[in-house]
Amino acid sequence: MAKPCAVIGIGQTKYKSKRIDVSLEGLVREAALRALADCELTFADIDAIVVGKAPDALEGVMMPELSLADALGAVGKPIHRVHTAGSVGASTAISGANLIESGRYERVLVVCYEKQSEGNATWALSGGRSGGQGAGGSFAPWIRTYITRSGAPEHIGWKVATKDRLNALKNPYAHLHLKDISIEKVRESPMLWDPLHYLESCPSSDGAAAIVLGSEAAAKKSPNKPAWVIAHAKRTEFGQFPGRDTVYVQAGVDCATELYKKAGITNPRRQIDCAEIYVPFSWYEPMWLEGHLIAPFNEGWKMTDSGATELGGDFPVNMSGGVLSSNPIGASGLIRCLEAANQVRGTAGEYQVDGAKVALGHAYGGAAQYFAMWIVSSELNPTFN
Amino acid sequence: MTDLSDLIHTIEYPYTRSTGPYLGPFLTGLRDGKLLANTVGGRTYCPPIEYNPESGEDAPATFTEVGPGAMVLGCTWVTDPSSKHPFSHPFAFAMLLADGADVPFVHAVDAGSPDAISAGTRVVAQYRDDRRGAITDVYFVPEAAAVDQSIEPGDEPVLITEHLISLVVREPLFPHRRRYAEGLLSGRLLGQRSPVSGKVVVPGRGYDNLNRVPLTEADELFVSDRGTVSSYTVLTPVQYYGQKETEPYIRCSILLDGTDSPIIGVDVRDIALESFRVGMRLQAVWRAPAERKVDGLDNRFGGSWEDVIERWEPTGEADIDPDSLKDYTW
Repeated sequence: MAKPCAVIGIGQTKYKSKRIDVSLEGLVREAALRALADCELTFADIDAIVVGKAPDALEGVMMPELSLADALGAVGKPIHRVHTAGSVGASTAISGANLIESGRYERVLVVCYEKQSEGNATWALSGGRSGGQGAGGSFAPWIRTYITRSGAPEHIGWKVATKDRLNALKNPYAHLHLKDISIEKVRESPMLWDPLHYLESCPSSDGAAAIVLGSEAAAKKSPNKPAWVIAHAKRTEFGQFPGRDTVYVQAGVDCATELYKKAGITNPRRQIDCAEIYVPFSWYEPMWLEGHLIAPFNEGWKMTDSGATELGGDFPVNMSGGVLSSNPIGASGLIRCLEAANQVRGTAGEYQVDGAKVALGHAYGGAAQYFAMWIVSSELNPTFN
Repeated sequence: MTDLSDLIHTIEYPYTRSTGPYLGPFLTGLRDGKLLANTVGGRTYCPPIEYNPESGEDAPATFTEVGPGAMVLGCTWVTDPSSKHPFSHPFAFAMLLADGADVPFVHAVDAGSPDAISAGTRVVAQYRDDRRGAITDVYFVPEAAAVDQSIEPGDEPVLITEHLISLVVREPLFPHRRRYAEGLLSGRLLGQRSPVSGKVVVPGRGYDNLNRVPLTEADELFVSDRGTVSSYTVLTPVQYYGQKETEPYIRCSILLDGTDSPIIGVDVRDIALESFRVGMRLQAVWRAPAERKVDGLDNRFGGSWEDVIERWEPTGEADIDPDSLKDYTW
């Protein structure tokens, strides 16, 4: 039986296109030290460290978990790195939770980062070759498939892009603060990967995020309110095989099914108060609402269109501004997980969902083939009805 | 013609590094002819470090000059330098303890001969004429060979450095990839049929990833070069290092007739975007045999379809129902 695990400390850097004022070590330490400060601990109090980031080719630093070990206070302590492409941030959070739930450790530091300005993600995802499709070019055909299949009107994507940027204005850490964002601006922005416009795509960010996870005893000693990790799940499928549905992805359905079952959730739309979902391109909001069983098949766009996913709606999504507003790739999934924790701790500031008790953190990666999700709650044993 | 038995690919990118408040002053110091250090937990480190390596606490960002003399603690002789080494002639890499520092670092010593350097040898920092705020601005020579240098300090602090990092990969193609490449050069598309599921995939992987069985030459077949568009986008090429594309073009997946998984990343440049659609029937028009090449193909990447197929032409046949293609978008 897994032992209880809680998020007891949260730290983020400001996300920016270029953090030229710090080294890579300085960047990750900034987030780590803020997370430690949030729970009034130091590196000496940490039992184990887990690091996550996107593939090494993004910055050209091979096996950074080795060179960052002593920058993260890991001398004489176990440290390991998690690697699941874009979903890595959430996978790393889950790996940290597993270390606490095993009963082996009292406090685990989880740190994720990307310094996108030091390389080029599209170059790296293209294996260094000309003519690469990159992430946007790879997802765009599937987004078109979704639009055709569901009959969604084209303004849904613009609406998500606008909503998340408006939310980001309330988040001081967000990279994009587009004060004059509007549906018209999104619609008029250049078409990058048809049907995706420039403003429907995530930025390239530098930044790091960190959490301190603690056991029940550690959480009770901690000065601030914990966010209890009540369930988590990971699922993977091959990127290409005959008959693969790239839109309604089986691994995503299975991941959500397992997650809700573990949490005791029978009606995610009603029983989850808000969600931070990995939406690097606008249309992935309705696609994952369906793909993770929050909205009925082909009706995720109706949920978005109704305003339900806005801050103030009945199922707010990406209150912090999401990946569309900040995208240090390796950290983006951990940011989803820690922003879910911020909501149930009541520490989300201007983008706090009133009374949030149960929140979902989510990330996906690769060719929409890796999934990692967790549910956090203000209560150790929440009940659902 | 490509030698399929010995492919060489170079992966190369000019990465940048933001130096930060510790290595930045150190690299600025090198450009200006100085070795800077900081003192952390009672020990003096050159190059300076950002944090106490034992406790993880922040280190002071205050710097003192050490050297230029240093002691060799240990060394190795590089008899056959590569293009990436700091010298084109034989030299030593040595563990050096700069005068005034407590922690050694590794650097190059232009010692002339392996007999001129060993543990205990005294060496002195020398600076290159062409300094750019990099660790290679400095090197070391045995004390007797040192010359006095007059170094003109630069103006701006070193905040960012650039490093062209190259990885040369040399590998033979896997047998199934080689047969696939040979097929392309002969104007034919080679696929593999799983004996378990009966599904045909192009190109074959050498195994059926769902049923976990190997696929061999006996499972191979040439498939049609006619098929149906199953998904597409109009790609605006990101202008990264090495990108040759400048203008938007169609990238699509095509489900070839008789196959069960589409070919992906297919370039289309001769069909009007307005008329392009999922369900459209297309026929490959191959390049002349002498023009076909598979240079970009390796064991992971398929190379450019444009290198073997000149264009795709609409066949004029009736479209296939897009709903029937939803499981073939990639």
